[in-house]
Amino acid sequence: MDIGFSPEETHFREECREWLHANVPAEKRPLDAVDAIDFDKAWQRRLFDAGWAGINWPAAYGGRGLSIVQQVVWLEEYAKAHAPWIGANFVGINHGGPTLILNASEEQKAYHLPRILKGEAIWCQGFSEPGAGSDLAGIKTRGRIEGDEIVINGSKIWTSFAHVADWQELVLRTEEGSRRHTGLSWVICDMHTPGITVRPIRKMSGQTEFAEVFYDDVRVPLANVVGGLGNGWKVAMSTLSFERGTGFIADQVKQSQEIRELIAAARANGMIGDDRIADQLAQMRAEVAAVRAMTYRNISEVVRTGQPGPEASVIRLFTSDLGQRLERMAVLLKGADMLDFQYGDDNAVQDYLRGFAATIAGGSAQIQRDIIGERLLGLPKSR
Amino acid sequence: MDLTPNDDQIALRTVTADWCRDNMPLEGARARAPDLWMQLDAMGWTGMTAPGMDLDHASEALVFAELGRFLAPVALLPSAVAARWVGFAGKTALALPAHGFVRLFDSNGAARALGLFGDAAGHFAIGDVRSAPSLDLSTHVARTVPPSSIDRIDDPRAALHLQLLAAAFAVGCADAARDMAADYAKMREQFERPIGWFQAIKHLCADMAVRCAVARSQLYYAACALDAGDEAAFHVAAAKRLADQAALDNGRANIQIHGGIGMTDEAAPHLCLKRAHLLGFVAPARPDALLAA
Repeated sequence: MDIGFSPEETHFREECREWLHANVPAEKRPLDAVDAIDFDKAWQRRLFDAGWAGINWPAAYGGRGLSIVQQVVWLEEYAKAHAPWIGANFVGINHGGPTLILNASEEQKAYHLPRILKGEAIWCQGFSEPGAGSDLAGIKTRGRIEGDEIVINGSKIWTSFAHVADWQELVLRTEEGSRRHTGLSWVICDMHTPGITVRPIRKMSGQTEFAEVFYDDVRVPLANVVGGLGNGWKVAMSTLSFERGTGFIADQVKQSQEIRELIAAARANGMIGDDRIADQLAQMRAEVAAVRAMTYRNISEVVRTGQPGPEASVIRLFTSDLGQRLERMAVLLKGADMLDFQYGDDNAVQDYLRGFAATIAGGSAQIQRDIIGERLLGLPKSR
Repeated sequence: MDLTPNDDQIALRTVTADWCRDNMPLEGARARAPDLWMQLDAMGWTGMTAPGMDLDHASEALVFAELGRFLAPVALLPSAVAARWVGFAGKTALALPAHGFVRLFDSNGAARALGLFGDAAGHFAIGDVRSAPSLDLSTHVARTVPPSSIDRIDDPRAALHLQLLAAAFAVGCADAARDMAADYAKMREQFERPIGWFQAIKHLCADMAVRCAVARSQLYYAACALDAGDEAAFHVAAAKRLADQAALDNGRANIQIHGGIGMTDEAAPHLCLKRAHLLGFVAPARPDALLAA
């Protein structure tokens, strides 16, 4: 075991640092998806043109084909440089793209992957439904096969960036009368298709970033199915295991930046003199260090075996909780100033309110605990 | 960068775990064989940290986490530090200074004791001491007047070494409690099903697994940091703090999951909890070490 980086990796780190120093935009990313879309696309294009998009994606589809360790180095420097969140590109880069790489046909990959990397195509996810949240297998949105088309009816909800997206990774029931995990398909859906209605939903932080999506006889080519008809559950799970594996490294490395800033802020306003505050900060600094150690362990496991270890699900659960405690501390340090928050403010209160998503989206903390109990410890399945 | 054990380290860990399982089961921690220390000595666990062995801290941490899982004698910690930094080959007792006296743990057959005095590790000769039972039933405790002279070890890494190995013991202790709880939750039935089926129990177990993974990861990082001399004081302190919490919180949860039997003297869960309390006093992590820039 060692924590040193090779000379090549260190050289790569310097390259990352130099480019970021010269190119990170001075202006802040707008909060609302509609206002941010041009910013997000321009930033992604800039990353792509300079060779920083898809660092560990295959070169054949516009990536750099570099190692996952280099990807981590990039993300560490990215966080240190306060580079903007990739925003609307999040789903394409972190969910859709990786799922296509694992499951799609050559034709599908050749068309979509470069567009995702260049920021030309914005993707959204279409998994959750009003009746299928934590119980994802309860999906009711159905697709009737008619010739070489699928005719879609139903609705999805909590779909991030739906109102600005060009494409959707849509999981629906293509086999009539099928139940639970069977008869589902993972389909690439063009969001500009007639019959799609998007109703944006405002979050408790004031942003309009996700939406409800309605499908009324929406016709999608049968050729847009990924991984074969009826295999939707398997394809969707490959994305979710990616999420639990390496998809959240950016958030994890960002926390080490945040705790430094919190300690500096507590020193500046004298609140570090309060033993309880000092103790919480000390605790979180230790935990943030452990998150990096866990991430490195997980990455090492991927390098060694090709996939994340069984403890990968632990990282997701732990970092989401830690992130919320960091956000809570940031608000605590502001004191009663938090009461001046109003929708549109981009500050620690906004981060705090927005952060409630971390233990809900992409599998609630309770579902994560089920997974850890059942898969890591071998306890009997409750469902 | 690689934070997974290599093949040699995996082999070393496996050998340690296998030997402990056969010769030093956790359930026997309260009444160890009189010749256990000689057995440990013969197997090389006591001298493995001596300078000539060239064992890195990462490998040590892996081995000590396994030893800790079976609640191995606590004198292994000071003995390992004494072996590396002073060259002692024999058994060294654990010293915890208090106000006006020093507590000695596991001093039977030890000629010297080692502990932290202020920031530095120090050791001193011990004579005949009268031992009494301690909270941790695997060891006795003796009180002695503060020694008139303490040999301080000037190298600050000696204190970090003790902190790291104590963290490794605590990680092992937390693992033991997690596995004991999960095994019981699979076997014990209420309402006509294993209690581990219920999310109230399952989620307690999941949180135990989370604490273990967090503490173990930081332990590995800290061991490498001590080997590399890279921000070692911070990383070892972080490892100790998280390991102590994991051992204590898992110790509590394990008793809760066992229910009635969990609060008895006869069952094993309290052994882990009591060990966790003892380890919490061995080179505890100070908040200022964690807040330093």
